[in-house]
Amino acid sequence: MSGLLEVTEVSKSFGGVRALTACHIDVAKGSIHGLIGPNGSGKTTLFNVITGYERIQQGEVRFDGIEITNAPPDQVFGLGIGRTFQLTRIFSRLTVLENMLVATQRREGWLRGLLHRAGSSSEKHRATELLEFVGIARLANEPAGNLSFGQRKLLELASLLVADPDVLLLDEPAGGVNPTLITHLADRINELNKAGKTFLVVEHNMEFVMSLCHEVTVLSQGRPLVSGAPDEVRANPAVLDAYLGGEDDAATQLELVSEDPARRPRAPVAPSRTVSLIQPRAKLGGPEPLLSVRGVSAGYGGGDILKEVTFDVPEGEITCIVGPNGAGKSTLLATISGLLRPRQGEIRFGGRVISGLAPREILARGIAHVPQVHSLFNEMTVRENVEMGAFTVDDRALVAQRLGTVGELYPIVRERADEKAGSLSGGQQRLVEFARSLMLDPTMIVLDEPSMGLDPQTRRIVFDMIELMNRQGKTILLVEQNARAGLRLSSRGVVLENGIVRLLGTGREVLEHPEIGALYLGGTVSTGGAPSAVG
Amino acid sequence: MSTAESGRARRWLILAGVAGALAVLAAFPLAVTDPAATSIAVFTLVFMVSTAAWNIFSGYSGYLALGHAVFFGSGGYAVALAARDWHFKGGWDVFALLPFGGLVAAAIAVPIGVIALRTRRHTFVVVTIAIFFIFQLAAFNLSFTGGTSGIELPIAPFPVATYNNPFYYVGLVILVMTIAMSWAVRRSRFGLQLLAIRDDEARARGLGVKTGRIKLAAFVLSAFPIGMVGGLYFYFLGQIFPQFAYDPLFDISLALMAFLGGIGTLVGPVLGAAVLEALQQYLTQSVSGSGTYLIVYGVLFLAVILLLPRGVVPTLTELVKSRRARAADSSTIEEPRDQAVRSVAGAIR
Amino acid sequence: MSFTSLLQAVIDGILTGGVYALMAAGLTLIFGVMNIINIAQGVMVVLGAYLSYALSVHLGIGLLPGLLLTVPAMFVLGVAIEFVFMRRLRESDRTGMSILVTFAVAIVIEGILTEIFGVDYVQLHAAYVDKSVYVFGFYLPYIYLIGFGLAVVLLIALYWLLYRTKFGRAVRASLQNRTAADLIGINVDRTRTISVGIGVAVTAVGGMVFGATNAFNPGSGYDLISRLLAIVILGGMGSIGGAMAAAVFMLVINDVVAVAWSPTWAPLVFFAALVIVLSFRPQGLFGSAAARAQ
Repeated sequence: MSGLLEVTEVSKSFGGVRALTACHIDVAKGSIHGLIGPNGSGKTTLFNVITGYERIQQGEVRFDGIEITNAPPDQVFGLGIGRTFQLTRIFSRLTVLENMLVATQRREGWLRGLLHRAGSSSEKHRATELLEFVGIARLANEPAGNLSFGQRKLLELASLLVADPDVLLLDEPAGGVNPTLITHLADRINELNKAGKTFLVVEHNMEFVMSLCHEVTVLSQGRPLVSGAPDEVRANPAVLDAYLGGEDDAATQLELVSEDPARRPRAPVAPSRTVSLIQPRAKLGGPEPLLSVRGVSAGYGGGDILKEVTFDVPEGEITCIVGPNGAGKSTLLATISGLLRPRQGEIRFGGRVISGLAPREILARGIAHVPQVHSLFNEMTVRENVEMGAFTVDDRALVAQRLGTVGELYPIVRERADEKAGSLSGGQQRLVEFARSLMLDPTMIVLDEPSMGLDPQTRRIVFDMIELMNRQGKTILLVEQNARAGLRLSSRGVVLENGIVRLLGTGREVLEHPEIGALYLGGTVSTGGAPSAVG
Repeated sequence: MSTAESGRARRWLILAGVAGALAVLAAFPLAVTDPAATSIAVFTLVFMVSTAAWNIFSGYSGYLALGHAVFFGSGGYAVALAARDWHFKGGWDVFALLPFGGLVAAAIAVPIGVIALRTRRHTFVVVTIAIFFIFQLAAFNLSFTGGTSGIELPIAPFPVATYNNPFYYVGLVILVMTIAMSWAVRRSRFGLQLLAIRDDEARARGLGVKTGRIKLAAFVLSAFPIGMVGGLYFYFLGQIFPQFAYDPLFDISLALMAFLGGIGTLVGPVLGAAVLEALQQYLTQSVSGSGTYLIVYGVLFLAVILLLPRGVVPTLTELVKSRRARAADSSTIEEPRDQAVRSVAGAIR
Repeated sequence: MSFTSLLQAVIDGILTGGVYALMAAGLTLIFGVMNIINIAQGVMVVLGAYLSYALSVHLGIGLLPGLLLTVPAMFVLGVAIEFVFMRRLRESDRTGMSILVTFAVAIVIEGILTEIFGVDYVQLHAAYVDKSVYVFGFYLPYIYLIGFGLAVVLLIALYWLLYRTKFGRAVRASLQNRTAADLIGINVDRTRTISVGIGVAVTAVGGMVFGATNAFNPGSGYDLISRLLAIVILGGMGSIGGAMAAAVFMLVINDVVAVAWSPTWAPLVFFAALVIVLSFRPQGLFGSAAARAQ
């Protein structure tokens, strides 16, 4: 039986990265369908494809049997499919009520739209009712920009309801929201569902998904992995694998379109003696941690993402930070390397305070940062990119020497020295980024999701290189989505959730901690136990 | 309930204020008979209309158009050419040509809008500037525009003492009409969609707003009053030359006036124009060098942009609002009443 | 209209195109590094011309030697403007606001020039300005050759700066990936300021050549900026190579049209080409797809 919303064989690539591969999903009419999957698995891209924000060349989207592939967003909405966004979007300069009225659908030309008032009394009445339904009616005349985070989510949802859509696509409705509001939201969704509305919900909050949804599809690396009732999905070991990272993901190869198999990086040669470029001032040699983070709270203006984070990074070891989506892992790394100033708290490196310093200065102290998002200079060659790592050094001979040393560790630097960095595959770029970070011979290297988006073979090489750099004496602070591989590699583990440190211990302790499954998937993993009641 | 009462009282107050302002404006030329003053008033009205019209597009949609002089000049040329070729004698009859000027401007706005609105916001600005220069070049070189010698308009046989007054009143009528249009747009569904486009165009599309059509409609709409008032302006001057018809300073003045008063608000641009044009005229008459005039203008603009980016009206409104105590704590969420829930469930079914 | 005159027009176009390429390169560099569209670039060329004029008429310093003074002066101006105005613009609506701010700066500069020099047209004179070299039947005016030569030298210097020096690497890195540039220790602020200085400094040279080949007054900036904008947008904003190619291309067409059709309509070509290209390719000839409307 075909569903109300059907997506078949959809593929979508961005440059060299395939976001969706032969993806299909079937949403039954009147159901609440959950869509889950690790970071980068393609959930938001799927939403964008369905609602016309991204065009596809391959595949089909059908709504109630009618094909709507590549229909523009306004048409899709007119047909009865509404969506919310991962980062809540509202019209901040309009009032709450005006926000509601924008979506009111009328069958009239723009000329009549000019003459008619923005909202007839019946439309305003309906809008107000819907505002009452979600619980923000008394804010009707407030500029939407003044609303709190949770209130905006409610407004975003309510403004869709004005047009009485048949299908609602919700992108992380419970993200970053307090538990009371989550219950409230779940109740509203159930009410609407009983009234006949169909839902497709992307969420990371597993409690929410498992208790609310009738059916759940797990997306991994652009493909559906498993689809079924919540309990089935939860009990399926492949699902936890997808989240924590499996050993050998033969079934979930992410094909990097531009990679040339003949040029895969070989295993590295045994390293020769390294040449230090800067005096490693930060080596303590004692029991003191190399990096200490104390009570750090930080955010990007809308409130704190990190809440009084405290942990240590011991010298000479690999420390891995893991945690579900939105936990604040990247934000934490940004505060350490100076891209973000902590609002509160202190960070010390080698005993000296570094919180509040500019990235340049922190680099000079001996911390190199490889960011999550691609950070090579596309138009420059591989050699130039690696040399840029030693930008602050003026002695060209020294730089050349250093380049040679690094090149022995990372043969790709030598092999593809004169090619433009932009032409390399994702995995190769990663290795070049590692090479670049070594140019100043830093004491500590900070890596943000080094294995993200890479196929299993390249991932293995990446982890091997991390281990190798550590054996040469570098302290590594690592954020990994692939929690299993990351924690196995590390001697220390930190689990972050919603900006708070939840677990601390050795890598193994953290990995084998019973709560880790709960943190990622909600409820116990092994028995697929009864979900806790909501509300 | 008191809020409805105070709402009604507020509405009467605004109505009274508007009526009062209109009365004052209508009486102005009768009270102040100095032709220099009424002349400045006519110029001021021209800019008030232009800024208000410009604001309908750029203020509400957020797309900065810096080529609206195209409509001003084209409207002027349309009126001048029509008056000459259709043998208008001059006097009140030429005023009847003003809507024609407006229509010509609006007609020109269609293809310009179609081309320019395909680009993103900052390229859009540059495209409007480029199109402006095309028109300027054409005006200088095409024969039918009279080239550098321009075109003469018929002299109105108004009595010398009150020569300016008919122009003033016509301008006032056009101003009232334009403000009414701006007000109507603002409270209409069309205007709401424009404002939504300004805040988040992509999301507006996702909510069913036909963004392309709406933007184009606003663009064309904004051209009409400017075309009309362009005709008025050059009729007042008696002659139209390409360097005045298509003057880059006109473009930038509209933006400056709107920003000063508060771009995107209803009355802000009009107030900004009133203040600035009066200042401009005073400067031209008192300052000897045209250079100083430019310097003052530019510095003023910089000051406004950098120090008062939202303009006077919004800043004042903010001050007034922050004086009043904030309403109930906005962090708790109301528990929905069961009644409301049931009725909505019914409405959705 | 003979083939010879057509070829002459092409040669003229290439020669003048070189100078426009230099000025356009400055404009696009400023955009690439700061996301700012410097509307004042046109009037700055005029300012450069006036500086050369003042030096030659009042101090008797020749046009070419005068450049040794005008170029650093314009560099300082660029740095000052970046520091005082451009830095204050927020990242979010930077480009739109920059148009208004630089427009205002342009008006101020025009006002200052009007006050000092008045509105009469002037032109730069030197012994070699009016002479030409006669090669293979074509006239190559000295001043065009000198201008082209200067432009080539400076563009090569710019290339060398961008590709062979540390500073140049910093500029290119800031252009390509700001976060990464920060993390490698590049002083992004200083890089930006100096880039803007360079972008403005080239107008001194452009001004000298422009002033020697055209009569100008303070109001001549508008025509210039409209051409430069057309060139930069056609070449793709932020692409120096694109700006250079577009400059030569546009000037050749301009001169050919002037000969083949009419000199008065030649400038129309710029704008018409701009409008046509943008209709089909909103990101310009060399620009990225990011410039397209949604």
